[in-house]
Amino acid sequence: MTSPAPPLVEMIGIEKHFGGVHAVNGVSLKLFPGEIVGVLGHNGAGKSCLMRILSGAMLPTGGEIRIRGKTVSFDSPNDARDLGIETIYQTLALADHLDAPANLFLGREIKTRFGNLDDARMLSEARKVLATLNPNFRNLTDPVLSLSGGQRQVIAIARAIYFDVKVLIMDEPTAALGPSETAMVADLVRRLKAQGIGILLVSHDMHDVFELCDRVVVMNKGNLVGEHDIEDVTKDDILSLIIKGELPLDWTPRSAEMAQ
Amino acid sequence: MTEATQAGGGETAGALKFSADTFHRLTALMTLALLIVVFAFGNAAFLSVNNGLTVLLQTSVIGLLGIGMTMVIITGGIDLSVGSVLALSGVITGLSVKAGLPVIPAMMLGVVTGALCGAFNGFVITRMRITPFVATLGMMLIARGLALQLTGAAPVSGLGEPFGILGNGSLFRVVELRENGFPRVVFPGIPYPVILLVIVAAAAAYLLRRRQLGRHIYATGSNEEAARLAGVLVDRTKIMAYVMSGALAGLAGNVLMSRLVTAQPSEGVMYELDAIAAAVIGGASLMGGVGGISGTMIGAFIIGILRNGLNMAGVSAFIQQIVIGFVVIGAVWIDQLRNRN
Ligand SMILES: Nc1ncnc2c1ncn2[C@@H]1O[C@H](COP(=O)(O)OP(=O)(O)OP(=O)(O)O)[C@@H](O)[C@H]1O
Ligand SMILES: [Mg+2]
Repeated sequence: MTSPAPPLVEMIGIEKHFGGVHAVNGVSLKLFPGEIVGVLGHNGAGKSCLMRILSGAMLPTGGEIRIRGKTVSFDSPNDARDLGIETIYQTLALADHLDAPANLFLGREIKTRFGNLDDARMLSEARKVLATLNPNFRNLTDPVLSLSGGQRQVIAIARAIYFDVKVLIMDEPTAALGPSETAMVADLVRRLKAQGIGILLVSHDMHDVFELCDRVVVMNKGNLVGEHDIEDVTKDDILSLIIKGELPLDWTPRSAEMAQ
Repeated sequence: MTEATQAGGGETAGALKFSADTFHRLTALMTLALLIVVFAFGNAAFLSVNNGLTVLLQTSVIGLLGIGMTMVIITGGIDLSVGSVLALSGVITGLSVKAGLPVIPAMMLGVVTGALCGAFNGFVITRMRITPFVATLGMMLIARGLALQLTGAAPVSGLGEPFGILGNGSLFRVVELRENGFPRVVFPGIPYPVILLVIVAAAAAYLLRRRQLGRHIYATGSNEEAARLAGVLVDRTKIMAYVMSGALAGLAGNVLMSRLVTAQPSEGVMYELDAIAAAVIGGASLMGGVGGISGTMIGAFIIGILRNGLNMAGVSAFIQQIVIGFVVIGAVWIDQLRNRN
C-alpha cells in the first residue's frame, strides 16, 4: 500500500513533554494522498497531542514536520490551515454562544464588499454543507450551546471540510453520533479519500477502523508501537498493541499468511 | 444571532431560547418604565423636558464608559481602570489647553491617552498573562496617581469658554429674545454629550454585530481556546477591546471635565462600578460571550434615572448607593434564573 507520490505529511521524531510527562515520544509517521491512516491507542496514549502538533495547535518539544517534502514549522493553527490541514478536534472547539454559521466560518468569515459580515450568505452556505451531513439539521440560528452533542459534532466536521482541505485530522469524529450520522461520516471520509485527501483518523471504534483505514499506527504511553497495513492485522493484534504495546508472540503478517 | 426569530417550528430548544434571550432585556425595559412611572407620580417635574435632558446628560458619561466596559466584559475580561483613566485623560486635555493647545487637538490627545492606557492593559493581560482584574486594578492606581501627580492634586481651571462647549453646548437650541430684553429658552436643544453617546452606541453596536472584530470579541469570550484553534487572533482581539474601553473612558473624561469647565484629577472615582453595573443590568455576563450595547444602554439609563429620581425625591446619596447595590444583585439574580431555565 505504498504510493509513488511524495508523502503529503511526514512527521519525524516528534516529541512533546509536559514537565516530566512524555506525552509523545519520538513518534514518526507518514501520510500519503488519498490514504486513510488510523491512529489508535489507549486513553492518554498521546494521540490527541500528536494530532494537535500537526494542526498547529500545540508546539512540539522536538522533531520535524514535512509537508510534501518541505520542512515546516507551525506557530499557530492558521499556519497549518494555510497549507490545507484541517482538524476536527476531540473537544470540538466551538464557541458556545455563537450559532452554527458563525462557528463554521469563525476566523474565516464571509464579508460583503464593505467588509461587513455577510451573515445571510454564511447562513445559506452553512445550511448547504450541514445538510450533506445531517438532513435534519434545522436550528441553525440557535447558539450551539443549546444543540445536541451530535449536532455540535456535525458542525465541527462541516467546518473542517467546507474549506479547501488537503489533510484532514479527525480526532474521534463520531464519538457522539448516532448510527445514520456515523454512516454519513464514513461515506464522507470515502469521498474525500477519492479526491486524494489524506486523512488521519483517531478512533476507538474497531469497526470504523477496519471499515475505513488503509493503514493503522498504534501508540502506547507516548511511543509508536506499531505501524501496519490493515490487511496485515486482526482486531486482536491491534488490541494487543494498544493494551500491551506489542503484537502477539506468534504474529506474522496476515496478508503474507493468506498468500501462502 | 440574538433574536431567535425563526426558531424552528415548535422545537423546544428554539422556543426556550426565544423567551430566554428576550426575557432579560424585557425585564430591564419594564424596570426602566416602572421607574419612570413611579418617579413621575412622585414629582411632576420629573417628566419635564428639562429633567429628561438632565438625565440624558448624566447618563452619557456612564453610557460611554459602559459601552467600552461591555466590549471588555464580552471578551471575558473586566476593566477596573476606566474611572481613573477618565480622570487622567481629562487632566491631560486640561493641561494641554492650559499649555496653549487648541481645544480639539487637546481633546484628541486626551482620548489617545485613554487608548494608550487601554493598550497597556491589553499588553499586560495578553503578553504578561496577568488576569484582567489585577492588570486593570494596577492601571486604576497608575492612572489616578499620574492624574494627581501631574496636577499636584489641584483642579485645573481657567480653561476658557471653548473647553466647555462639548459638555455644555447643545444642538437645535432655540432661544428667543423677549420684549423686556431677557432671553427665553423655547427649546433647550439636544446636549452634545447625548449626541455623542448616540453616535458611539450606534458605532459600537455596528462593530459588535456586523464586523469581524465584533464576532471575534464574542468568540473569544465564549470559548477562548476554540477561538484560538479557529484562527482568531485572540490576543489582538482582547487588546482591541481594552483600547476601545480606554479610549471611551478618555472621551467620557473630556465630556465630564468640559461640563465642569475644569480638569478634576479626583473625578470619576468608582465610576468603573457604575459602568460594570450598567453592563450587567443590561444582561452582559462576567463569564464572557454574552452582552450587548442596547442592554447596556438600558442599564445605564436605569442607573441614571434611579439617581435622578431619588435625588428629586430628596433621598440621600448614601441611600442611593444602597438602592443601586440591590438593583445590581437583583439584575444578576434574574439573569441566573433565566439561565437555569
Ligand atoms: N496541556 C497539557 N498539559 C499537561 N499534560 C497534558 C496536556 N495535554 C495532554 N497532556 C498529557 O499528555 C498525555 C497524552 O494525552 P492525549 O490527550 O494526547 O491522549 P489521547 O491519546 O488523545 O487520549 P484519549 O483517547 O483519552 O483522547 C496524557 O497523559 C495527558 O495527561
Ligand atoms: Mg484524545
